[in-house]
Amino acid sequence: MALQEQHASANLALIKMTASTHTVDQTTDFRSGNEMAAKAAAQINYHMMGYFPITPSTEIAEYLDEMKANGEHDIVMIPADGEHGSAGICYGAAAAGGRVFNATSAQGFLYMLEQLPVQSGTRFPMVLNLVTRAVSGPLDIRGDHSDLYYGLNTGWPILLAKDPQAVYDLNLIALRLAEHADIRLPVIVASDGFFTSHQKRRVQYITQQTDVQQFVGDMPKPPIDALDLEHIVTIGPYMNDPDLINTRYLQSEAMYRAEDVYQTIAEEFEQISGRRYGLLNQYQMDDAEVVVILLNSASDTAKDTVDQLRAKGIKAGVLAPVMIRPFPKTAIQTALRSAKVVLVGERADSFGGHGANISHEIKSALQEVHSTATVLTRIYGLGGRDFYPDDADQFFDLCLAVVAGKEIPNFGYYGITKGDPALAPSARTKPLKKEQKTGFIHVAQDPKSGQLQVKVPPLRALTAKEQRIAPGHGACPGCGIFPGINTFLKGIEGDVVVLYQTGCAMVTTTGYPFSSHRVTYIHNLFQNGAATLSGVVEMFFERKRRGEIQVSDDVTFIMVTGDGGMDIGMGSAIGTALRNHKMIILEYDNEGYMNTGSQLSYSTPLGHMTSTSNVGKFEQGKTFQHKDTAQIMAATNIPYIFTGVETYAQDLIKKAAKAQWYANHDGMVYGKILIACPLNWKSAEEAGHAIVGAAVDSCFFPLYEVEHGITTITYNPEEKNKRIAVSDWLKTMGKTKHLLKSENHNQLQQFSDEVERRWQRLKAKHENPYL
Amino acid sequence: MADIRTYTNAAGFYEIRMESIGGLGANLAGKMLAEAGVLRLGYNGSNFSSYGSEKKGTPVKTFIRFAAPETEIRSSSPIEEPHTVAVFHESLLRTENCIAGLPPNGTLIVNTAKTPDEIKTITQLNSGTIVCIDALRIAVEEKSRVNTAMLGAICRVVDFLDENAVKQVLSETFGKKYPALVTANIQTFDRGFTEGRVQEYKSQQQQTHVPFAHPKSTLGYDTQPLGGAIINPGNSVTRDLSASRSGFLPAFAPDSCIHCAACDETCPDMCFVWTAKQDERGRTYQYLQGIDYQYCKGCLRCITACPTDALRSIRETDGYADEHRVTHSVSA
Repeated sequence: MALQEQHASANLALIKMTASTHTVDQTTDFRSGNEMAAKAAAQINYHMMGYFPITPSTEIAEYLDEMKANGEHDIVMIPADGEHGSAGICYGAAAAGGRVFNATSAQGFLYMLEQLPVQSGTRFPMVLNLVTRAVSGPLDIRGDHSDLYYGLNTGWPILLAKDPQAVYDLNLIALRLAEHADIRLPVIVASDGFFTSHQKRRVQYITQQTDVQQFVGDMPKPPIDALDLEHIVTIGPYMNDPDLINTRYLQSEAMYRAEDVYQTIAEEFEQISGRRYGLLNQYQMDDAEVVVILLNSASDTAKDTVDQLRAKGIKAGVLAPVMIRPFPKTAIQTALRSAKVVLVGERADSFGGHGANISHEIKSALQEVHSTATVLTRIYGLGGRDFYPDDADQFFDLCLAVVAGKEIPNFGYYGITKGDPALAPSARTKPLKKEQKTGFIHVAQDPKSGQLQVKVPPLRALTAKEQRIAPGHGACPGCGIFPGINTFLKGIEGDVVVLYQTGCAMVTTTGYPFSSHRVTYIHNLFQNGAATLSGVVEMFFERKRRGEIQVSDDVTFIMVTGDGGMDIGMGSAIGTALRNHKMIILEYDNEGYMNTGSQLSYSTPLGHMTSTSNVGKFEQGKTFQHKDTAQIMAATNIPYIFTGVETYAQDLIKKAAKAQWYANHDGMVYGKILIACPLNWKSAEEAGHAIVGAAVDSCFFPLYEVEHGITTITYNPEEKNKRIAVSDWLKTMGKTKHLLKSENHNQLQQFSDEVERRWQRLKAKHENPYL
Repeated sequence: MADIRTYTNAAGFYEIRMESIGGLGANLAGKMLAEAGVLRLGYNGSNFSSYGSEKKGTPVKTFIRFAAPETEIRSSSPIEEPHTVAVFHESLLRTENCIAGLPPNGTLIVNTAKTPDEIKTITQLNSGTIVCIDALRIAVEEKSRVNTAMLGAICRVVDFLDENAVKQVLSETFGKKYPALVTANIQTFDRGFTEGRVQEYKSQQQQTHVPFAHPKSTLGYDTQPLGGAIINPGNSVTRDLSASRSGFLPAFAPDSCIHCAACDETCPDMCFVWTAKQDERGRTYQYLQGIDYQYCKGCLRCITACPTDALRSIRETDGYADEHRVTHSVSA
């Protein structure tokens, strides 16, 4: 043991020696890029973070929430209704004169894209961490730079962090840059999704928060401040020609100044930390003749190849920009002064552009100094395809082939696969036969009362009806989604077209090249599934009207979404409901964004623990009550709304049958089913059926329907003598066990009161057809 | 204390790959091991897991690189030729290419009740070291999880990793959130450390057993339907999900079955296979035939749902699922 300690301290001494110039105390730790972004934000102690979870940047908000629960910072954390909303919160907060922070990726970045030029154009600083990931579609959650490239024209300075250490360091530098009087622009710090965000490395952070605070300084008084009531201002006027060009000119000048200002701040940072950040990371570039240019993490991988080539006497080098907005043109020209062949590896394409953005910017920089270097572009690593050391070897081989006089195409994709014809699908899937899906359920409208009469056979008989989802999906053991959806689909007859919004059900049933759907299925991102399906529905009727589609019975169109999709996609769903298209929206509610790792949704009940509503000394789960989506949808006055659970199967199947009748005859239907998520509810895998049943019996999730505005409770636990206290339901899950402790009595009471209030109101509606 | 430099490869690294399924705690095990190496023993290191949209029960790989403190870590890509592979779940030996890239003198650690000789036969490993550790049994007995037992087994074979450093990280990690679990986990670690059956196999072989290959697409640009569409949906029936089970499965006793379909309704994985038969009076009814274990993830929802004794939970033994499987009629 003594020997081990000696050995360890010798090693640690060595780490200290290599970074001996710094003047502030630093702590060596072992952390990922996302952890380091959160660490920097916590130490800065931003006023506010408006955020919406998206892989792989989500963890930043999760870590910050966990730290907040433990009292490590007091950043106000606002869970937005989507990234467009999060960008709005951040914009307002920045205009209101505070320090603002956000993190996003891929679709989230694109969804907020519209807001980014608004913020840079009106000159309000903040820091956004872009944890890069491939842009849809098809949906891919792994890392490439296709989101980053959309950011190039937003007017935000962009810094690239190639490893977890740089994520921390550049986050500190970025805030200074953003707030600098000569700049006043919001700044993006971009790091590689998964490769950097989720990889733990040995890192150092500034030990004392006061040292961080001293480096970033007090927030400079903003020249324009929405909350400076002594100096009232109009922010964002209506401005056409001839004025806008002048505003843009100032913005452009500020952007170019960012290059020098960044370098000054980076030098100051080096003095306190011992870590140097230039405009470029250069490896063996002094006399490099063959150069590979790569953004972020892949650039480090290529260094080994450079060492091997240098050992053979080949003048190879690697170049990786740290800043890409503004584009460090002069530095690039200098760095490439000896270059004969440059290969730009791009983890994104600008389709049809004969090379993506960085290639063209490198080319134009070289053209200005009349360089004769050949520039090759290779699109690589899309969708998170790993970049191995031998991939770097091949990039240099291409450069050397050009040096040797070989004809090499300037532009190409690297790492693509032709595909083995033997593995190609040999036959298309045949649709289910009529008798496999029809003839089990009977719905008839009573001509006198107008009431629907539904006949549903026992579950046993319904096993003869084919499931529309095939086995072999990748959901967690004990997942409640499939019992929920399958039970619902037992009540649906005939042809079905489904649209699944992004979520667990989508991801687990369609992992390429496999699909579990035995009916036609479409995915769209969850901001927009309802609108998309309404387009499908209306096209069906129009093509039918034109005689282009011949069917004996109409198709039933069903959108399947999680509760997350009903948050970010609420606008689309309400618009679709108000237009009253003939379709069904089926929401499976598992009380959180489970696909991205259990962040709170608006449907998460008060006090429930998620990864963004942690339990600690300073936080006891979610701080606001759950959304009543069924009542919101009821207010759109669509023909039919229902709730259901697998536990009361006949009730749910009956409602499905009615839903189909209304969707085929009257218009839109919305239904919400509560389903268990054993992983994130921290409950037993086999217990889901009983837990959602308990949620019903506690009156948290009443079973009811609203038909043309008339509410009917379809199962009343009080009448059956089965009503239980909400605590009896909550005790079945790990995520709520803290609520049963005496110190959380008040919160439990508030929750239970709200459940009772909503239940009493529902009973009143049940009694009165006009409520 | 051994010097790490005597163990590292040409690039200066000692590399460990964990093969697991989501939920067994390999990610946490990798994190604790790497933290012990970097923060307690002063090495340089990195740690990450293979990420997709992994759900519990799906195969996942965790990677740990160690190097001398002055060695710079450059690669973020997965480990290709690990010195040590730790398999957290025995079924993965069947479904995943666990020993890919393992050198002739490499070490394979498997969570299994089997002997090293049996594992050697299954994996066709010709040389190197095989460690068998019954981590599931230890975890059940200690009321902990397999991951800490696996950590113990790993520490035993990796000479430069001091087990006390790992135990300190373990106590700290569990101590923060679950202080009640510290003792059980230390006990589990110690048993993992001591109870492994280690067997070394010498051979003339110089070659890596199964070379590491970069993951390849099933469909390429010549064979992919337009826009990434899938034209043979329902093809997920060809997938084998049995490796998602973590030790238990439902056993079906047809004689006690009343064919109520409660199991069928609650099964998330559509495992129950039915057939139509006529009763003695000539009326057609649905009858439960059995379970298609290829898709069963062992959640045991069906056991809870069953109103009779027709379904009960049993510890899965080799070959049981294959022998009792009733094949689904669903085809792509």
